[in-house]
Amino acid sequence: MTDIYTAVVDISHAPLDPAAALDFVSDPRFGGIATFIGRVRQHNLGRAVTGVSYDLFEPLALRTFQEIGERAREEVGGPLKLYIAHAKGHLSIGDFAVVIAAATAHRDEAFRACRLAIEAVKHEAPIWKQEHYVDGDSAWSEGCSLCEEHREAERMAANHDGDTHGHSR
Amino acid sequence: MKVRISLFGALRDADSRGFIELEIPEQSTIATLREALQHHVRDHAPAISPNLVQRSAFASEDEILHNHRAVPENGQLAILPPVSGG
Repeated sequence: MTDIYTAVVDISHAPLDPAAALDFVSDPRFGGIATFIGRVRQHNLGRAVTGVSYDLFEPLALRTFQEIGERAREEVGGPLKLYIAHAKGHLSIGDFAVVIAAATAHRDEAFRACRLAIEAVKHEAPIWKQEHYVDGDSAWSEGCSLCEEHREAERMAANHDGDTHGHSR
Repeated sequence: MKVRISLFGALRDADSRGFIELEIPEQSTIATLREALQHHVRDHAPAISPNLVQRSAFASEDEILHNHRAVPENGQLAILPPVSGG
């Protein structure tokens, strides 16, 4: 489907490009564009971060992005263009980790589609973040289980305590 | 049958080659494979928490394979620890 663009970008070749996302979703039918850009920040959970590495299971990640796009289209219930790109490899502070852009006729659907897409990318796509710290240590971020039985337990815990996965919010 | 399980994220530490190969009975389910992998990891990569394997999902290139599903005939799978993209 040409209205949904998905990509995994090896940033040793090229950075993510928010301008390309805006170009892709721009369309005379659409008056609203919502974007989300995730960048690498210098602190997480009180530790100074020097950079992160993203590992992806690429074929399934792309398929998951496509499914997320189709879900966003159902949520919007009308015409939508959606761009989802995620970085792969080693990123420094400030580098773009993820770029989402959603365009629809009006702003409400654009915001909703963009929010749905970024939340689903964080919680469902086979992507793993390893943080590298100033002291030379590194650690894989705690994440969301994709196992159905664990997902259910984690969803209930999250509803109870707020998001406890240690993700950037 | 022989299966090859590709490793990602924190589970890459279980084998520096990036995959684990196991011999399992024909027509095994994912639940059986999970048990076999837990034994393997306990014996060969004791630094990996058994809980991490328990919380991980198996997948083909096309979809997540839950515990009741059959292991794909081509024997190619991935194991996905809890995800942390974005």
